[in-house]
Amino acid sequence: MSRLGAMLEDKRLIWRLQRGRVDALRLIYEKYKLDLLKVAIILTGDINHSEDVVQDVFLKLAESYDRISDHGNLKNFLITCLMNRIRTIRRDCRRHQAAQFDGAALERARVSPPDQWAVVNEQMQRIAKAMVELPLEQREVVTLRFEGGMGFRQIARIQNASINTVQGRYRYGMEKLRSLLNGEVET
Amino acid sequence: MKSADKMRRLFNSAAVQTNATPDDAVFEKIKTAYTRTVEHKSAQQEPRMWRSVMKNPSARLAIAAVVTIACLIGLSLWRTTGSGIALADVLARVEQVKAFRCTGSVSMTGEAAPGKPYQWQIRYICLKSAEYGVRARQEQVDPNGSLTLFGETYLYPQKKILIQIGHAAKKYTRTELDDAELQRMQKELGRYSDPGGFLKEIVACRHESLGRSTIDGIEVERFGTSDPNCRGGASGIKNPQVDIKVWIDLKTRLPVRYESFTAGLDQTGNRMSFRLVMHGFQWDVPFAVAEFELPPIPDGYEVADQFSDLANEETAIQGLKQCVELLGNYPERIDLIHLLSGVDKSETSAALRFKEGLKGLTGLGRDQKRMDALKPIRLLVKFYLGLDKKDPAYYGRTVTPKDPDKVLLRWKLSDNEYRVIFGDLHAETVTPEKLAELEAALSK
Repeated sequence: MSRLGAMLEDKRLIWRLQRGRVDALRLIYEKYKLDLLKVAIILTGDINHSEDVVQDVFLKLAESYDRISDHGNLKNFLITCLMNRIRTIRRDCRRHQAAQFDGAALERARVSPPDQWAVVNEQMQRIAKAMVELPLEQREVVTLRFEGGMGFRQIARIQNASINTVQGRYRYGMEKLRSLLNGEVET
Repeated sequence: MKSADKMRRLFNSAAVQTNATPDDAVFEKIKTAYTRTVEHKSAQQEPRMWRSVMKNPSARLAIAAVVTIACLIGLSLWRTTGSGIALADVLARVEQVKAFRCTGSVSMTGEAAPGKPYQWQIRYICLKSAEYGVRARQEQVDPNGSLTLFGETYLYPQKKILIQIGHAAKKYTRTELDDAELQRMQKELGRYSDPGGFLKEIVACRHESLGRSTIDGIEVERFGTSDPNCRGGASGIKNPQVDIKVWIDLKTRLPVRYESFTAGLDQTGNRMSFRLVMHGFQWDVPFAVAEFELPPIPDGYEVADQFSDLANEETAIQGLKQCVELLGNYPERIDLIHLLSGVDKSETSAALRFKEGLKGLTGLGRDQKRMDALKPIRLLVKFYLGLDKKDPAYYGRTVTPKDPDKVLLRWKLSDNEYRVIFGDLHAETVTPEKLAELEAALSK
């Protein structure tokens, strides 16, 4: 589906969601749950926290559906909500800091106990492990570029920083990632 | 290739999936929050709107007219879920259908014991005609995805004849049925291929419209339920989590697709799941009698008694004997999954010999040999299930083969008589009073 087609579909979904249609909520959930889980795991490096955060975002959407603007991109809107939620949790609660990244949680998730919501593959584990070595701002820029498909201007608005700063964060982040994943990404 | 592109490729190859059961639970939570909010907001908005409308005399008149029309329309739509289609009407249409064809698949996954997963999948084509009967052809899906012709079933209700061909076993049966057996067989075949039965189940449960879409160019409306009272062909699953959906053609108002997924615990407490998909419906297709004619039985196929075996008291006793040989004692309960899993875990010399005999066999050959060898146990289960309405009781948890005076299994013959199989496997007919005495002794 083209970008325009996807946007029009999202607009239709938001319109239906704002009129109380449960089927629209389900379609939005099915369409974006994996994207949001992926972004959350990359940003937090922790499956359990990611599951909580993504649930929170969908719950927020369910409770504030009438406040969503249908002018923007729904995926980016949800990703932005997700990032804000992660920042809030990090600020409020020290246990969410990257230094306490729980690699075992990722391993458990790959093995997939039946009551675990998210299951990740090995590449995902490697990327998440490498990403937690980056400062949060750099992690956000790289994630928004790769997973959100956003431009530097848009990211700058979200991070409330200048474009130059965002570009610098992207450059440093990429260098660090390259060195951490040197077997897989050659320069 | 630039390193950013390589990094992007690496990110693209990272993947997340979700497990179906918690996924449903998460969505259910979100849906509850959403519906609660929608209801709350509507309740807040209604009085304000109503007040402003009722201040205006011409608006009051218009509202009165709209309410009258809405009431008239409402009388014809009150049974719908709000979308215009009522599943009860769809069910009525399906029940009018004289003949249909459909394809489907049944798959089961689970654990025979902790750490011992199993997976089983069958695909089938089913033709059903009020005039000619039922014909079903089943194929087993091998682990590598290839299909093996597994069996064929022909049921002729007018003649009360059931013919089953087991291609894997190279055996066939021809069984003449009485009315009760015919009914049971129709129900059994319908477990996986009766859209009317499935619709009845959904209609009786809490269900909702999940929106419209297109399947193979047909505009459809999807309905779903997660009511655990709906089982969608699955049976014997404890604490079930259910997800059942049916897609209805907006023009014909007949089903286009049906899916059910049930996950939970089997009788032994291990996890299991059951999935049934039916699609490719052709409603009221003109069948030719030739399509229901029995094909020639292939050369080398033997007559088998396994499908038509009569399960009676004698075969039940043989089954209990086999339990003692293989398990070392009577089973705690008469349940096929429990018994098969017990045999898998058992280390009696008979069980070890039995397992040794299966070594080197794979796939259908192994399954067939296993089922043949455990025939007495299967007939015991069949007999016990047949006692359903005869006040049966089984005491394998406490009674052993060394208890000749203790009631192991009993069932009612009439108001004045009970049949009892004792611990040493002799059987007697006793009065209800005598039975009460015998059962009182069990608790001592």
